[in-house]
This record gives sequence, C-alpha cells and structure tokens, in this order.
Amino acid sequence: MLAIDTATTFDSQSAGGLLTSALRERAADQHYLKLNGLAKSFGKTQVFAEIEAEIARGEFITLLGPSGCGKSTLLRAIAGLNDVDAGQIIVDGHDITSLPPQRRGIGMVFQHYALFPNMRVAENVAFGLRMKKVRTEERERRVSEVLRLVELTDQAQRFPHQLSGGQRQRVALARALVVEPQILLLDEPLSALDARIRRHLRDQIRDIQKSLGLTTLFVTHDQEEALLLSDRIFLMHQGRILQQGNAESLYTRPVDATAAGFMGHYNLIGRELARPLLGYESDSPRVALRPEALYLQPDTSPQGQQDEYANFPTQPLPDNAGPGCPGVIRRHQLLGNIVRYEVDCQGLRLNVDVLNRSARQLLPRHLRVMLHADLDEVQALGGNETAATSQVSHG
Amino acid sequence: MSLPAELPYRHGKPLLPSLMARLRRVNVYTFIVTSVFALLALPLIATLFYALATRWGASLTPDALTVKWFLELWTTPRFLAAFGRSLLVAVGALALSLLLIVPVVFLANTRYPRLDSVMNGLILLPFAVPPIVSSVGLLQLYAGGPLAIVGTPWILIPTYFTIVLPFMYRALANSLRALDVASLMEAAQLLGASPLKAFFLVVLPNIRVGIQIAVFLAFSFLAGEFVFANMLVGTRFETLQVYLNNIRGASGHFTSALVITLFVFTLILTWLGNHQPAEQEMPADDPDEAQATAMTDGLPGPVPSADPEPRHTTHQSSDSAPRGDR
Repeated sequence: MLAIDTATTFDSQSAGGLLTSALRERAADQHYLKLNGLAKSFGKTQVFAEIEAEIARGEFITLLGPSGCGKSTLLRAIAGLNDVDAGQIIVDGHDITSLPPQRRGIGMVFQHYALFPNMRVAENVAFGLRMKKVRTEERERRVSEVLRLVELTDQAQRFPHQLSGGQRQRVALARALVVEPQILLLDEPLSALDARIRRHLRDQIRDIQKSLGLTTLFVTHDQEEALLLSDRIFLMHQGRILQQGNAESLYTRPVDATAAGFMGHYNLIGRELARPLLGYESDSPRVALRPEALYLQPDTSPQGQQDEYANFPTQPLPDNAGPGCPGVIRRHQLLGNIVRYEVDCQGLRLNVDVLNRSARQLLPRHLRVMLHADLDEVQALGGNETAATSQVSHG
Repeated sequence: MSLPAELPYRHGKPLLPSLMARLRRVNVYTFIVTSVFALLALPLIATLFYALATRWGASLTPDALTVKWFLELWTTPRFLAAFGRSLLVAVGALALSLLLIVPVVFLANTRYPRLDSVMNGLILLPFAVPPIVSSVGLLQLYAGGPLAIVGTPWILIPTYFTIVLPFMYRALANSLRALDVASLMEAAQLLGASPLKAFFLVVLPNIRVGIQIAVFLAFSFLAGEFVFANMLVGTRFETLQVYLNNIRGASGHFTSALVITLFVFTLILTWLGNHQPAEQEMPADDPDEAQATAMTDGLPGPVPSADPEPRHTTHQSSDSAPRGDR
C-alpha cells in the first residue's frame, strides 16, 4: 500500500505525471468502448436507434449532427444520465448499461459548465477526489497538477462566477480529468464561448486528450470543430449514425445526400442536369460536387465578353476536367479567404469557391464564364429521391 | 439658495423655471419614496412616541418622555411567557415546513416538473381562503379522529405550516431555478457522488441564502399571527398577539411598548435575513476582455480584482493546496 503510494507520488513529480501513467496504460485495445444496438425513445418519439460503434482506447470521436439528431441524448445515455430502451454499453469488457452514473468512471463536460457555485476552483476540481476519499495530500497534489495542465493555477482560489467563460470551461475540464476517467464525454463544450476563446480551448482540449491518451466522445453541430479535432467522426441524422469515418473520408466521400448536405457546401445535382457539366450520364440518380472542385474559366466562345476577362483569376484546370459548361455569375459571397460564386449554368445553380487572392479579381454579376468540374471529385450518390431537381445545399 | 450668476441675464424669467426644473429633476423619485416611507412610518412613529410618553392627552406633543412602559413590559412574566410561546410555535412550524417543503421543491424542480405546476396552484389556497374560514375547517379536522389537537398548542404548528407554505415554496423555487439544479446534480453524480450526497454538498449550500430569506420572512409573519392563534387555541395558549388582544383594555402606553418591541424584534430578524447573504457575496468582477485576450495568447490571465484572498474558509484542505505551488 505504502510502496504503491510512494511510487505514484514519485512518478508524478514531473508535470506530466498524469500523462505518463495514462500513456503506460495505453494498449492497442480496439474495442475499448462498444455500443451494441442502443435505442431510446421518449414516448412515441424515437431519439436514437440501432447505434452500433466500436471505439478504440485513446480515440477522439466526434458525434456530429444537426440539433435534435439525438447526439446529446446518446452521450447522456453513455454517461448514465438517461437510460436506454435497448442495447448495451460496454467499456473495457464490462457492461455498464445498468450502472448509475457515479459508478461508471466516466467524466463529462457540459455546455454550460455546471460548476458548483459555492465552491472555489480548487474545491470544484477536488470534488471528485473527495467523493473517492482520496487522502488530503494526494488530493491537493493532483488538483494542482491538473490545474497546471489547464493553465489555471492562479485562479485556484476564485469562485466560478469570477471567471470568464473559457476559464470556467477549463475548470470543468480539469474537474472531469482529475479523477482519471475511463472515458471523457464533452457535450458541446465550446458552443457557449466566443470565437477566439473557442479556437484556443479547442486546441487545448485536443492537446490534453492526445497527451493523456484519453478515449473521448465529443458532441458538436459544428463541422469545422469536428473536422479539426476528431480521429473519427460519427455523422448522426434522425437518431442514427449515417456515416462514420475520418475527417477526410467524411468530407470528400459523403454516403448520401443528407451527409453531403451537412458536410461542406456540396452542390447536389440530378443526373440529367449534371450531364452537360460532366460530359457523361451518371449511373446514380444524383451526384455531389464540392464548390472547390468546380473551376471557372473565361468563356472563349463567340458569346464571351472578351474585354471583361483582363483580371480573371487564373486557375489551372485539373487533369481530369469535365467539358466546359457555359454559365453566368449570379452573385457572390465573400467568406474571407474564399469567394463563393453562385453560377447559373443552363438552369443549374451551382456554388463555386475561388481563392480570394485580390479584390481586383472579383468577378462581376452577369459575367459569362465557362464552368469545369473536376471529374475525379464527383461523388455519385444513391438514394431514391427524385433526381430531376437541382439543389444548392447550404450545410 | 444660490444659483449661477449668469442665469438671470440669459433668460427672461429665469429664476423660477430653473428652480422648478431643478426641484423636479432632483425630487421626483425622492418625493415618491419619501412620501411612501412617511405613510408607512408615521403610525409607527406615533406609536413609538406613545410608548415613550408619560402622558399624551390634550396636547399635540407628549408631556414628557420615559422608558418606564418598556421596562414594565419587559419585566412582566405574562408577556415573556407569551413571547416564548410565539417563538416556540413559529420555530416549530418553520422546522416542519423546511423538512417538508425543501424536498418537494427540489423534486418539483428536477425530477417531476409537473409537480411544480400543481404546487403553484396549491400555494395560492392559503391566500384564497380567508383565515376565519380555514380555521373553522381546521377545528373540524382536528376536533376528533387520530389527531385531536384542537385547543392544544400543537394545532398551531401544522396550521402555521399552511400559512408559510407559499412564502417558503416560492422563495426556494426561485433560488433553485436560478441554479440549474439538474446539471449540478448530474455533474456531481458523474464525479462519484450519490444523489443524496450531491444534494447535501452541492444543492443545499447553494440555496442556503434562499432558505434563510424564506425562513426570516416566514418567521416575521408568524410572530404577528393572531387570527389562527385566537380561534384555534385562544386563551389556553396565549401567544404574543393573543396577549396583546387580551390586554387591549389596559394602558395604551403599555400596549404601544409591546407593539414597538415586536416591531423591533421583527425588524432585526428581517435585517438578519437580508443582510447575511449580502455579506457572503464575493466581489463580482466581470470577466473582462483583457483577460480573455491574455488567455488566447496562452498567457496567464491578469488578476482583475485587487485581491482574490478568501474571506472565509469553507474547506481547509483544498484551500491550502494550490497556494503551495505558486
């Protein structure tokens, strides 16, 4: 008993005490967290169903989806804050489905912090250790260690209401981390923060998660956060996992129109309408094309407005470019480093992204252009939706 | 009354309008507040003077001032006994109410939201039914059966419970609502606390201020309760108000001294109830932009207030911990 205690204390003298112990434990366990056929309904409303997932130890998983898709309820079910109607939650080989939240060994960070207002920062963080009856010296050591990790040592004696939003969320993170949970759940932890703090905390969460090798489930509706943070993304829609995979596969290869609609700003085009753009008829009823996979060129045909093309942004065409489809610029949106043009191409309205290199290169409305698609990036989508319509999706 | 010297030359009739404007600007709020206060305070002041007067007959002011009425009152055993009884009943009723209402409020605001709307209707009843009517009902209810406590002082405790229920329930519900109890309970449970522990360690300390206010408010109210005490127990258990009623034929100076004593006592209680929470509040400083900027740059945030030193220590253990490694 004593020997073990000394060993832990010794090993944790370095700032990364928490880290090394966690790293040592890190095994190539591919099925650390298993969700087997989870389902939940509130009355007649089905919140989620047929949730199947296998998550490796140390993985950072994001549950991404629009509000009301069941992602938060799923997270709460894993934490034990909601029960499930069917299925099992298995952590490290143990079925925890029927355990109360306090015995699951799961840490959670809430969107609105849920800090205890009557306790100082240090007391908030120490709460979990007090519940575990960790001895005072050990407790103090671990609290100060984790506060250093989230850069809040100077705020230890403050009350939550004396802190900024970002600081509060870091306290919440420290409070969840200090008990060394098996799994960390983050329920939209960045949504209540302003943009700059959000970016900073986002990176901090990722760094800490990586260094601790902590299995993490992160819920968000922000695709940018999901793409930046995750090892894998579970895209959820209407209570089901629509698609799972790493950021790249989710972004470049959406499985269907819904996935394409949520990721990026895909142009969804019906088979017939896509024909002049692609130069061939697709086998599937619909194709999806990202706005950055479309290229604008001056219209060299007799209808072109040759004298207007002096400042045309030069874009080398990809190797496998589709035949040009004549179009007219309808309007543009300035997204910062990108200009998004809406181009009318024989009745099709398409979003085209062009790098915003210079204000002089902005293309005016009604300008005639040629539109080329990168055929390697065309995503054929299945689905039984009527393919006759074209739709510009706004993810 | 000194006005700026140049004013009379600039305007035709400057003195009166500017004076009026000034009066209007300064005094509109002061006037209202003062008159309301005076309206409330005047009878009390008159009573105070009557209690302090040797004789106050034909003249506009008392003949002379004395504290003999107060001294006489405070040394009357019957008064002290009545005062003690009032305290006993009030404290008993408050203890019972806390025991019953706190769990109900908590459950209504966490697990059973429908209970809250039921309670909100229920707490109007003591206002809707006149005390005379409900005391007749209470007499019927407690006259026989398993709880035959009519005529005993015990009947006052459940009765007073119904009176303070609205105050207590609303005050507690409000402080719970401001807290987001559900999330706090969840957070505490995920950190290993049982629901009961979570309630005692996290919820209760945070609604302590609300409980205090509710208790003092209810107490001041109960100390002045007369109708139920008189109807249900009457002379057999003389509370303060019943005593006051019984001696109304005696010296007016004496009863005035009683009223003032009761008022001051209630005032002190109310002040305690309102003052204590204010003292516990920490210096609130808004998380300012500078701090946020420093944080984004990865620098430790500057200390916004003069000194975050703890004013009181709740938990010695965690208090000293992070200080050591600064």
